[in-house]
Amino acid sequence: MIMGKVLYYTLVDLARNRSVVAFAALVLAVSEGLFLVEADPVKALLSLVQVMLALVPLVSLILTVVYTYDTHEFTQLLAVQPIGRRAILGGRMGAMALALLVALLFGLGLPLTVHAPGTTSLVLLVAVVLLAWVHTALGTLIALLHRDKARGVGIALATWAGFVLVYDALLMALLFAFSDRPIEPLVLPIAALNPIDLARIAIMIRVDLAAMMGYSGAVYQHMLGSAPGIAVALTLMFAWIAWPTLVAFRVFRRKDL
Amino acid sequence: MIQRTALLLLLVLLSWPALARVHLLHGGQGSLAAVIARTAPGDTIVVDGVVREGPVTIDRPLCLLGLPGAEIDGGGVGDVLVITAPDVTVQGFTFRGARFSNLYDNAAVKVNGAERPVIRANRFIGCFFAIYLSGVRGAVVEGNSVEGLPEDKDRMGNGIHLWKCGQATIRRNLVRDHRDGIYFEFVTDSRIEDNLTHGNVRYGLHFMFSHRDIYERNVFVDNGAGVAVMFSHHIGMYRNRFLHNRGASAYGLLLKEINDGEITGNTFTDNTTGLMVDGCNRIKAEGNTFRTNGWALRLFANATACTFSGNSFQGNTFDVSTNGDLKLNTIEANYWDRHIGYDLDRDGHGDVPHRPVGFFALLVERVPYAIVFSRSLFVALLDRAERVLPTLSPADLKDDHPLMRPPHG
Repeated sequence: MIMGKVLYYTLVDLARNRSVVAFAALVLAVSEGLFLVEADPVKALLSLVQVMLALVPLVSLILTVVYTYDTHEFTQLLAVQPIGRRAILGGRMGAMALALLVALLFGLGLPLTVHAPGTTSLVLLVAVVLLAWVHTALGTLIALLHRDKARGVGIALATWAGFVLVYDALLMALLFAFSDRPIEPLVLPIAALNPIDLARIAIMIRVDLAAMMGYSGAVYQHMLGSAPGIAVALTLMFAWIAWPTLVAFRVFRRKDL
Repeated sequence: MIQRTALLLLLVLLSWPALARVHLLHGGQGSLAAVIARTAPGDTIVVDGVVREGPVTIDRPLCLLGLPGAEIDGGGVGDVLVITAPDVTVQGFTFRGARFSNLYDNAAVKVNGAERPVIRANRFIGCFFAIYLSGVRGAVVEGNSVEGLPEDKDRMGNGIHLWKCGQATIRRNLVRDHRDGIYFEFVTDSRIEDNLTHGNVRYGLHFMFSHRDIYERNVFVDNGAGVAVMFSHHIGMYRNRFLHNRGASAYGLLLKEINDGEITGNTFTDNTTGLMVDGCNRIKAEGNTFRTNGWALRLFANATACTFSGNSFQGNTFDVSTNGDLKLNTIEANYWDRHIGYDLDRDGHGDVPHRPVGFFALLVERVPYAIVFSRSLFVALLDRAERVLPTLSPADLKDDHPLMRPPHG
């Protein structure tokens, strides 16, 4: 009940703050722009996948971190009231997740439904929303763990770069280093441990299906195209939302505000 | 009934001038072999109903017509109909019951060394081989529907099988669920037009040592390994569609040891590999469209003097891949959706060359499992860097005048 109130007021504050609105507008502009510039919707969708997989985690992360720091005083104010800490954090994180969901449904969902309705678009939308939630959870955790804003933002940026670039680079180096050993069965599971890679592969399974059927791809297709594969992917994604959230709750409960 | 009578009357009138006779056979009342024995060359046999008879040989020029619903069931003994005489027409039947065998190529209609047979508008259901021509000149195979057994694909023979034939016309047939849809070996000067092959275990169209043939407006969908063209010269493939042939060794079109071929106006969509060129000379590929394939074009370095121009590459995972240096072939004035360039003089051609072999394509060529990284931001950055400063990709493999828009639609 109280959590609901915190959620509501945070949502109102987020709406007034306009950063989420700006995010929605940015996503809308990018998606609409790509569909308008590219005559071929298939190609536009492919570009969109690449842009969204980088942009949405980054913005979700930074937005959450900065917002958490900026509303620190409000959180302090709430904490001196007879409100449980669980309710405070739950309400705030829920509001952020909800705001991002609405922003993405509007900014990305709308253009996708208009220009490229289909399963691939649906997978993209679901994957991107889940990614946004993963990064809100991570962002909250980062902000709670570090008192200094600059430091928090820096760590958030590093986290993002790690997921998007460094992880792939390391994995690729690994792949090359052990290319003469049978490590193929490991590549996909290791890649899937990174939420952004997981989202990308889930989409790629659809758009690059023809190539996936070649060589090694049949294995991947088998692992990820099937219902158990999808279930595993969703479970992993939710695990990525769950663990930072749980840790954040733990940290927040004992934190000296 | 009136229709049948009218048809009969018409046939009688048509054959009147030649003084040829028309014999009528009702299924279940007398034997086809016996009727054939009574005919003179040029006669017509009209069949009504279901004839159940083992191998029947047509040893004189006849016209065999089936009324609607006419059926010949070989009963799984061996071949169904064997034609050994020239100028035989078989039209309007449903065939069943050519025996499956590991020793003999049993077929529903087998033509042995006879000239000018016409096999038209028949239906073949679950026959080991459906149409089998051997040593035939001037055959016409037209408007047939050849249906294998989907649940028993692996035992099937070829749908339309030609061996040592010349001047054949294969037109508007449907072949599905066989081993090879259409199979040619030593077949020259022939035309294959407007056929649809679908869901065959091996190749939709398979031909070897078959020269000066033309393939036009055919559709090859979902065949186990697509279409394979091997060891032939002077072939023309125009406006065919190669769709959805997927699998580790599946190709929309596989060209092996082909000389002087022309491949124009074809569409390759959703194949694992659209067009594979291996050991070919003087192939001209113009105005083809490659869309959403895994690999649009795989060009092996043993191909020489091949020209690729005016083609359009859109939405493929990889546009071109190769296994060596490519000085010997020309890739010029194609449309690449990956091309990033400008056209200041507005002549329709980009002012900077396009390098179709990306870093990632080379990477996957070496480590196939790297396909997991497809469309990752990291790979996109490396790809971009490679295009700006090529270090790994073959320096000469580039399109100097890429088109700014697709050449056709």
